[in-house]
Amino acid sequence: MLLITCPYCREARPEVEFAYAGEAHIARPADPSAVGDAAWRDHLYIRSNTRGLHRERWRHVNGCGRFFNAVRDTVTDKFAATYKAGAPCPIDFAREGAER
Amino acid sequence: MIQARMIQEWKTLAGTPIPEVAGRLSVALAPDCARFSLRVRPDDRAALDAPLGIALPDRIGGVAVGAGGHALCLGPDEWSLLLPAEAAAGLGERLGAAVTVPFSLVDVGHREVGIAVSGPAATLALSSLCALDLDAMPAGSATRTILDRAQAVLIKHDAEQYRIEVWQSFADHVWTLLEVVSREIALDL
Amino acid sequence: MSDARVIDTGDTPARPSAATAPAIGRGLRVPGRGRNAAAAPVRFTFDGRTITGRAGDTLAAALLADGIHLVGRSFKYHRPRGILSAGSEEPNALVGTDRGDGRYEPNTRATTAEIFEGFRASSQNRWPSLRHDVGAVNDSLYMLFSAGFYYKTFMWPKSFWNTVYEPLIRGAAGLGAPPTERDPDSYAARHAHCDLLVVGAGAAGLAAALAGARGGAKVILVDEQAEAGGWLLSEPEVTIDGRTAWTWLADTLRTLAAMPNVTVLNRTTAIGYYHQNFVGLCQRLTDHLAQVPEGAPRERLWKVRAKQVVLAQGAIEKPLVFAGNDRPGVMLAGAARTYLNRYGVRVGDRAVVVTAHDAAWAAAFDLARAGTTVPLIVDIRPVVGGDLLAQARSLGIETLCGGTVTDTRGRLRVSAVRVNPVDAAGRAGGGRWVACDALLMSGGWTPSLHLFSHTGGKLVWDEADQVFLPGRATEACRCAGAGTGRFGLAAALADGAAAGAAAAVDAGHPAETPAFAVQGEGSMAGTACRDLPTDRNGAFAKAFVDFQNDVLAKDIRLAVREGFRSVEHIKRYTTNGMATDQGKTSNINGLQIAADALGRAAPSVGLTTFRPPYTPTTFGAFAGYNRGRLFEVTRRTPIDAWAAERGAVYEPVSLWRRARYFPQPGEDMHAAVARECRAVRAGVGLFDASTLGKIEIVGPDAATFMNRMYTNAWTKLEPGRCRYGLLLGEDGFIRDDGVIGRMAPDRFHVTTTTGGAARVLTTMEDYLQTEWPDLNVWLTSTTEQWAVIAVQGPSARAVIEPLVEGIDLAPGRFPHMAVAEGRICGVPTRLFRVSFTGELGFEVNVPSRYGRAVWEAIHEAGRAHGIVPYGTETMHVLRAEKGYIIVGQDTDGTLTPADAGLDWAIGKAKPDFVGKRSLARPDMHRPDRKQLVGLLTQDPNVVLEEGAQIVAERDGPIPRTMIGHVTSAYWSEALGRSIALAVVAGGKSLQGRTVYVPMPDAVHAATVGGTAFLDPENTRLAV
Repeated sequence: MLLITCPYCREARPEVEFAYAGEAHIARPADPSAVGDAAWRDHLYIRSNTRGLHRERWRHVNGCGRFFNAVRDTVTDKFAATYKAGAPCPIDFAREGAER
Repeated sequence: MIQARMIQEWKTLAGTPIPEVAGRLSVALAPDCARFSLRVRPDDRAALDAPLGIALPDRIGGVAVGAGGHALCLGPDEWSLLLPAEAAAGLGERLGAAVTVPFSLVDVGHREVGIAVSGPAATLALSSLCALDLDAMPAGSATRTILDRAQAVLIKHDAEQYRIEVWQSFADHVWTLLEVVSREIALDL
Repeated sequence: MSDARVIDTGDTPARPSAATAPAIGRGLRVPGRGRNAAAAPVRFTFDGRTITGRAGDTLAAALLADGIHLVGRSFKYHRPRGILSAGSEEPNALVGTDRGDGRYEPNTRATTAEIFEGFRASSQNRWPSLRHDVGAVNDSLYMLFSAGFYYKTFMWPKSFWNTVYEPLIRGAAGLGAPPTERDPDSYAARHAHCDLLVVGAGAAGLAAALAGARGGAKVILVDEQAEAGGWLLSEPEVTIDGRTAWTWLADTLRTLAAMPNVTVLNRTTAIGYYHQNFVGLCQRLTDHLAQVPEGAPRERLWKVRAKQVVLAQGAIEKPLVFAGNDRPGVMLAGAARTYLNRYGVRVGDRAVVVTAHDAAWAAAFDLARAGTTVPLIVDIRPVVGGDLLAQARSLGIETLCGGTVTDTRGRLRVSAVRVNPVDAAGRAGGGRWVACDALLMSGGWTPSLHLFSHTGGKLVWDEADQVFLPGRATEACRCAGAGTGRFGLAAALADGAAAGAAAAVDAGHPAETPAFAVQGEGSMAGTACRDLPTDRNGAFAKAFVDFQNDVLAKDIRLAVREGFRSVEHIKRYTTNGMATDQGKTSNINGLQIAADALGRAAPSVGLTTFRPPYTPTTFGAFAGYNRGRLFEVTRRTPIDAWAAERGAVYEPVSLWRRARYFPQPGEDMHAAVARECRAVRAGVGLFDASTLGKIEIVGPDAATFMNRMYTNAWTKLEPGRCRYGLLLGEDGFIRDDGVIGRMAPDRFHVTTTTGGAARVLTTMEDYLQTEWPDLNVWLTSTTEQWAVIAVQGPSARAVIEPLVEGIDLAPGRFPHMAVAEGRICGVPTRLFRVSFTGELGFEVNVPSRYGRAVWEAIHEAGRAHGIVPYGTETMHVLRAEKGYIIVGQDTDGTLTPADAGLDWAIGKAKPDFVGKRSLARPDMHRPDRKQLVGLLTQDPNVVLEEGAQIVAERDGPIPRTMIGHVTSAYWSEALGRSIALAVVAGGKSLQGRTVYVPMPDAVHAATVGGTAFLDPENTRLAV
């Protein structure tokens, strides 16, 4: 069982308190009706499926209830960072060379 | 008229007491109280302190005492109020009249059951249900967590006094598990 | 083995004469020797025979003390097998144990099972008896059972697999039989947190715990054995700080016990090591007890989170690989020493030793001094230390350095061993037979790195010692003692102390490293070897590598000849290391042989991955408390007990149990549901709807939020009114629905499906927190705040009207889809006028602790109107008659509102809501989408099967194109016929057409129609 640091509680807490919530930084378009069919399909269904550092969302559902973002290595399962929703990713993916 | 008949409250776990482990562990239903879920933006929080009569804790996990009850900070914009009936009466109206910032107050007095776990073995008993490091949990703090498979709020008053607040329909599971764990602790294996 | 297969028939085995033949079973227990020398006698049975052992014995120790080596038959060849080891690595001695009261467990290692008065054990995989086993014919057919025999032998013909091969394999092969009774035991679980977890309470682990704990760190020290001490228990003569090993051990354990920050757990196996120093421990609490206290759990699974871990797991002795090395009586030299020194048991009267390591010499000397004749020590190495040779000479032991063992004899126990010299070129010379009743072997030691390997820690190959050692750790973890390849007591103590102190410092506690002075320690030098050289044709040699899976050295060589290169493939092809012992005694030998056959260095061939659990672990331990009533949470409503008292039949709905119907005496489900349906349509029914999900949505932006989440328009909904709400996913498909009441301009009372409650709240929180954090609105689950009592039927108003205060229920004042707050039976209520039945209906929400009393009051008030409680089955029928969908039953995540005939619920003028954009995708408008329709069977008495597929033609080639399926089907009491809902491709355009539903009994014709079967004009609602 992993320990996950909730950026709101500022505490490492057991994995059973958390729920995974998919890839992070996929913002809902402000005006979906202005988005073309192909772009909307990509928004709905196309994900990076990264091997390595992956930006993803978690929810401290059995704790403070907040959704937050995390960078986790999908190979080692280790969390590189967790940060509040809306905050910029603290890891420079271009520099890490981990972006898809 | 049927309206005049006294309505009996149905207490989920009443009638299934858990035997005490003498001098070590006691598990009992906590006295009922009024409960509210209070939501307000963190920046607006202080506006509610005076009308509530409690200084709402500003840190997740914080517990404040006031108005004869407790205010638990469970999330960045979420407080749980456990209050005596007299402090709860008309609370919504009083806050509505006194507070101008947006907030949400919802009566959840019947949603939960309170369970008091106390004694020198209380932490040990709860460690069978809870993955948190309860020794490291500060006295006078509270958190939402998972107890076996039930979401609950765990309040640690001190090293030997805990209170569980759990939804009615999950209470039997937690209670039955505490009963099993009490027996196990009594056997001292 | 018949003599015919002995190639050099010239050298006949020397058989012990009658005069020197040992009297088996007598005098094997050395008086005054062993940890339990003074312990009480304990009677137990093995295969029905009563044997007396001593308290503190393992089953293996007690059997050996009785002269019993033969304890089982092997997995594949049914060869007689004995006791190889003295610990949890045992591959051979698996038995069934019966602890009474249905407590039966197969495949228990005799080397770890502790005996007690009344304990019963039985041998496995033999028929009719252990001594005479029919399956042993496999041993003569061994050429058929070579590496990969499953793949080669049982391939063709295909039809033989089910009829011949599988029953044959299942009948002949295998280990113990599973228990037939329900497990009567209970199991426990506990989380623990510590600064330092030390795995293994041998010398290194004890030193680590001492060093770690002195500065105040919270330490947990665990050991899988019944008592702490590890190898100290087997080597009592050595001294530490001037005290004998056992005195030092007792003092150390006393010291640790007196420290409040230290927990020592015996009989506790660290089974798995997971991320972030999360370690699973299985503690065996009662298996060793003759009297299990009432209600005591059998095992406890500890889930430990440690800041630092020290792995002091020690090392496992390697068998030597030579022909006949599996015969009962052939055992690891270190195990023989353990049986002697720890349990006071000599494993034989005449023991030959064959070794590649100094340690086995010490075992020989201990046994010789205890009265066992040791005729010969064969050492693989041409040169050994002079002091060992001198000691052997002084004890009258013949030695052969630079020798090998090439065969053994003895039907059910070794009676002789064939010994050969080996020349400088490594060739074995002619053999001679030496009589013995025990053959002790040692191939050196394998550091135990299983837990380290669980973490993904890298192993590095040590060329000098030919062992894998721990390399770079991935966790906050240190290895100490023999597990690091630093063998010997002094090294273990020093290493453990250093590791414990360093770990304590890393965990934030002061520490100092104690020093220990060790005297009298034996030397720990040795060499590594693959299968021993032989003068015979190796193709016939039954030299076992994996004893439990019957894998021979030649099987591994064959696999390499057949092209396997990776150790992972060789493992799976030969099954080496795949038995319940996970190859603890076989992996390294298998690797050495594979590397030799490949002509490559061992590390390039690789080591197979160790996976949890370290030793076989009961399912019970993993289940913990979660069995029986605690298997899963069973949510019950406040009215559940009332229903139970009236004999309700329940069905599970997500975690809830809900009353499905209320049978009267003599009624089956059909009759009960028909009666309940008639009551609601003609009079009034009472239904517990408390499980409906409820969410209170509060804040100045509540209506804005509702507009964005739900398809419907909410702005104009007045307080005091309700609306059916439809929730889509962003993909445009139906996710949930429910009636939503506006209690105030800034407050909505949302209901969801029972199963969707948590999911809907999560979805709403997701959008609110991450997409629209600017909205001033908050969501609170009130599912359990309210008990919900649905009162449905033409008489509903008449029943509740006298009970309600503060709400005028007159039709004009409180119309369909109205909501109001007032009182009922003197308690607060949110009263909804809503209907999921098509009848006049109310849903009475009261704070849940009042639920039962208000239910009873309504039931009482309804008697005059013939009120009937009804369950979910009737609810389903009544709603289906009206064509009301159940999300998740009539929808499956691929239906749009239009598909389900719910486009009327879409607020067309709204610029956006969740899912709106997807509804504009071209595929959402294809005419051949599956659409919800009603079906009426041509035979009105046929109720279709839910899930049955629908085809367009009665006849035609198979497979037929399936154009849809039945989602709901019931007997409608109101219509006197069956009804069904279905999704059918292009269903809306098929109105009036006939489709066909193949079912097991017949193909049924049905006519496509609308979904509202009853009162489509809703006249019954407007009363």
